Amino acid sequence: MTTLVTTISETLRYRGKIGQWSWALHRLAGLGVVLFLVLHVIDTSWAAFYPEQYAKAIAEYQSPLFTVGEFVLVAALVYHAINGLRIAYLDYQPHLWRYQRQAAYIVFGVTVLILIPTFAVMGSHVADFWEGDPEVPGIVDIAETQVQFLIGFIVIVAAALVLSFLVSLVFRESEHGDKSPRRPSQIDVWLWSFMRWSGVLILPLVFGHILMIHMIGSVFEITAADATVVGTTAANDTGTAVEFVGERWDHLVAGVAVWRLYDGALLALVVIHGFNGLRYVINDYFHGRVVNRALNWVVLFGGAALIILGMAALIAGVEEAAYEIALDKSGLRDAAITWLGG
Amino acid sequence: MEVKLRIRRFNPEKDQKPWWGEYTLKDVEKTNSILELLHRVKWEQDGTLTLRRSCAHGVCGSDAMRINGVNRLACKVLIQTLNADRTIQVEPILGLKVVKDLVVDFEPFFEHYRSVMPYFVAATSTPTDGRERKQSPEDRARFDDTTKCILCACCTTSCPSFWASGEYVGPAAIVAAHRFIFDSRDGAAADRLNIMAEPGGVWRCRTIFNCTPACPRDIEVTRAIGEVKLAIQRGVR
Repeated sequence: MTTLVTTISETLRYRGKIGQWSWALHRLAGLGVVLFLVLHVIDTSWAAFYPEQYAKAIAEYQSPLFTVGEFVLVAALVYHAINGLRIAYLDYQPHLWRYQRQAAYIVFGVTVLILIPTFAVMGSHVADFWEGDPEVPGIVDIAETQVQFLIGFIVIVAAALVLSFLVSLVFRESEHGDKSPRRPSQIDVWLWSFMRWSGVLILPLVFGHILMIHMIGSVFEITAADATVVGTTAANDTGTAVEFVGERWDHLVAGVAVWRLYDGALLALVVIHGFNGLRYVINDYFHGRVVNRALNWVVLFGGAALIILGMAALIAGVEEAAYEIALDKSGLRDAAITWLGG
Repeated sequence: MEVKLRIRRFNPEKDQKPWWGEYTLKDVEKTNSILELLHRVKWEQDGTLTLRRSCAHGVCGSDAMRINGVNRLACKVLIQTLNADRTIQVEPILGLKVVKDLVVDFEPFFEHYRSVMPYFVAATSTPTDGRERKQSPEDRARFDDTTKCILCACCTTSCPSFWASGEYVGPAAIVAAHRFIFDSRDGAAADRLNIMAEPGGVWRCRTIFNCTPACPRDIEVTRAIGEVKLAIQRGVR
C-alpha cells in the first residue's frame, strides 16, 4: 500500500507534459464509468427480475445527488471516448507522434464542444422536472440502497482475498516469489487490439445511448405516464420505469427487437472493454501475489457475471404484469399520479 | 548571478527519510550547467553531496536526474534555459532505489536491458570474403534513431507504467530491442518480439509520451515502442 501511495503522489509530482495528464484523466474517467456500469447493469436487470426495486432505483436516480453524478458520468464518458480515439490512432500510426500534443489539446476542445450542448439539453430536463415540484428520495434512502452495493463489493473482494490466500497456502507459495510467467501472451496481444477497435465500435453505440436516454429522453421522463417511449411508437401507459424498459425491449422493427440487440452489443463490448481496463489498472498497482490474483478473479468472474446477468435480463424481457407490480409495490402509484397529473 | 538550488538529499545510514537541502550560489554564469552547480555545492559547501557523473558532456549518460520536475542530464541543462529567478529543484530519477542523494541503483534497469538480447545475432554465416555484412543505406536508416541510446534511463524513469511496476521492461530496453529487431542483418527478431510480448513487455506501455521529451538524445522513443507493438502483430516491416 505504501508503494501505491508513493507511486501516485510521485506521479503527480513529475512535470510530464499534457500526455501524462491525459493518461491520468483517461484512467480516472474509465474507472468512474466502470463503477457506474456495474450499478447500471445490475439495476436494469431488476426491470426484468425485480420490478419494484427497479422503480425505487430510478426514483433515486432522479434525486439531485445522482443528477450531479449523471453530469460527471457523461463528461467522463465523452472525454474517455475522444481521448481513446487519439490513443488508438497514434498506436496504429506511431510515426505521427509529433502531433500527439496538439491532438491532446484538440481532445479537450472537442470534449468541451460536445459537452456544452449536451449539458444544456440535460440541464433543461432537470429544470423541467423541478418545476413540477416533485418528491424525490432523501439522502438516507439513497445511502441505504447504495450501501448494499458497497457491502456486496466488499464481500466479493474479501471472499476473493481469502480464497486466494488459501490457494497460496495449499500450493505453499511465497508472497513475492515468482513473478508473472515470462512467456509471450497471445491473450494480451488480442486484448490490446480489442481495447482499440472495441473503443471505436462503442463510441457510436454509447453516444447514441446518451442521445436517446439522456438528451431526447431523460431519467425523469422514464416515469412520465403516457409519454412515448424513446425509440419506439409505444406509450408508457403506467408511467413506470419498468414499462419504459419493457416497451423498448419489445419494440420490433421488421420482426427484430432492435433495442435488445443494441443493448446486448453495448453490454458485451463495454463490459469487456471496461473490465479489461480495470485489469490493467490492477496489474499496474497491485503486485502482491495473493492480492493481485484475488483482484484478477474479481475482474474475470465479475465481468462474466455482469454480462450473463445483463444478457439474461435482455432475453427474459419485462412481462406486462411487472408494470403493475412496479406501480403497486414501490408506493410510487400515488406519487406518480400526482406529478404526472399535470 | 545568484542561484538557489533545492536538492533532495538522502543518506541511508543517517536519514529516516529524504529531505530537501537548500544551497545558494553566487557568481553563477548563465552558461553554467546544472552539473557545474552541483559540483560547486559539493566542493564549496557540502562535501557529502553524492552524485554520479563521468564525461560531463552528454555522451556517457551518467547524470540523469529530475530537474525542475522532469528528467534531464544535469550536464546538458544550462541555467539560461531555466527560470533562474526561481529556486532550481534537483532530485534523483524516479522508480529506481535511491542509494544516496542523487545516485540510484541502476541494476534493475540494466537487468531489463540485458533481457531483450541487446546484441547482434547474425542472420547469415560469415561472408566468404571474411569482410562485413552489407546493408543498404535505406535498411540502415530503418533503425538509425534507436542506435543513439546512451542508457541514461531518463526515458524509463519518466514512465508512469514503470513507476507503477518495475516488472515493465521500460522504454530504454524496448529502444534497445527496436535497434536490433529492425536491423536487416540480424536474425533474432522473432526471439526479441517474443520477449517484447511477455506480460512485462510492450503491452504495459499506455502511449503516455513522457519518455519522448525526456530523451536527451532526441530519440523518438514512443514511436519506437509503437513500431515494436505493431511488429508483434504484423511482423517486421
